[in-house]
Amino acid sequence: MSDVHDNDGGHHHERLASPIELRARALEALLVEKGLVSTDAIDAVIELFENDVGPQNGAKVVARAWVDPAYRERLLADGAAAIAELGFGGAEGNTMVVVPNGPGVHNAVVCTLCSCYPWPVLGLPPSWYKSAPYRARMVSEPYAVLREFGLELPAETTIRVWDSTAEVRYLVLPERPSGTEGWDEEALAAIVKRDAMIGVAVPVAVQTPA
Amino acid sequence: MDGVHDMGGMHGFGPVVVERGDEVFHEAWEPRVFALYHLSNVRGLVGGPNGRAIRESMDPAHYLEASYYERWLWSAERRLEAKGTIAPDEVEVMMARLAVSEAPPTAADPQLAAEAVAQLREGSPPMGIAANPRFAPGDHVRVRRMHPDGHTRCPRYVRGAGGVVERVQGTDRLPDKAAYGLPTEPEPVYAVAFASQDLWGESDEPPWTVLLDLFETYLEPA
Repeated sequence: MSDVHDNDGGHHHERLASPIELRARALEALLVEKGLVSTDAIDAVIELFENDVGPQNGAKVVARAWVDPAYRERLLADGAAAIAELGFGGAEGNTMVVVPNGPGVHNAVVCTLCSCYPWPVLGLPPSWYKSAPYRARMVSEPYAVLREFGLELPAETTIRVWDSTAEVRYLVLPERPSGTEGWDEEALAAIVKRDAMIGVAVPVAVQTPA
Repeated sequence: MDGVHDMGGMHGFGPVVVERGDEVFHEAWEPRVFALYHLSNVRGLVGGPNGRAIRESMDPAHYLEASYYERWLWSAERRLEAKGTIAPDEVEVMMARLAVSEAPPTAADPQLAAEAVAQLREGSPPMGIAANPRFAPGDHVRVRRMHPDGHTRCPRYVRGAGGVVERVQGTDRLPDKAAYGLPTEPEPVYAVAFASQDLWGESDEPPWTVLLDLFETYLEPA
């Protein structure tokens, strides 16, 4: 998301705007001209999702659950309340259910009807999550979809696919990978990526340089 | 509504395409449409059915062809028109003005900016607590056969199927009515677990479970 302003790749002045881009600009200009919305308010909303709200929040939740069994218990009992302990919550995240992976069980989340997604802990959803192939196939052939993500589950592991059809938002609590013994919370959070919290990947114990 | 948005189990869309790198927004206009949509709600500029109901009413070919934020833009225009905030041809007129290099207007409204961010940080209230749910965890239920022509949260692929209540999630207003501003009391919502073979028949893959949050209205005892 931090690339938002770089997407023109420095060719801003040469690139021709698409019809839909012109339409979007026009609607914004229309509402601004009418005095109904302001450009600084648009910027403020974008900035919130660029800087404050994203999968780095969910990673902190997961890392805390890995190191603090009492927190994990609270997280599984009342997701939104436990997530609020770390200061996260708000739109698309006030009713949260956290689903834990464990031996023989792998959870994954989809929204077949639209794009429901836990904004406060994961930010806005990636394109593939909102795409027709993912929405169509995650419920009807999840093993095949996960293989496309490069995730081959052990033979004895069953998948539980959560289709977010109401106001509950789901966060997958991945298993802490072996090889992370003795890591502190910050190092653990660094290996918890968005895809693992959706359930299409699992965390891997790779130390990133500080 | 039995539209193309109800995608669970559909064939023919091909593999999931994962773009590495910036996957949330592709172009600078997309987050601005997202923000504009939110601000229109904050300022009460929109009317008619909610955004999801409107997007589901798109022409099916247009829905499938449009990018995600193009659908948002389309629904924003329809909702702004429904309230009378904009007239149907005003966007085209502004497009023509901008095409002749007119600089787009800017405006500052720190109070609106603060309010918009505060509403996102606050969010909607959580689901209510179900005082008298009809079903309990472990109960066998069947999803009613239905064919609603408006917004619903009961996907086609579970209708008629039997499942087991996994948990009582809370209460909420039935979206089938709430999306149109129709009165409806909060009702229990259940996470219901379905065995893969009960939804899709036999498979070469090991069994899996699909869980959906279903409103009590959609369910009957099995």
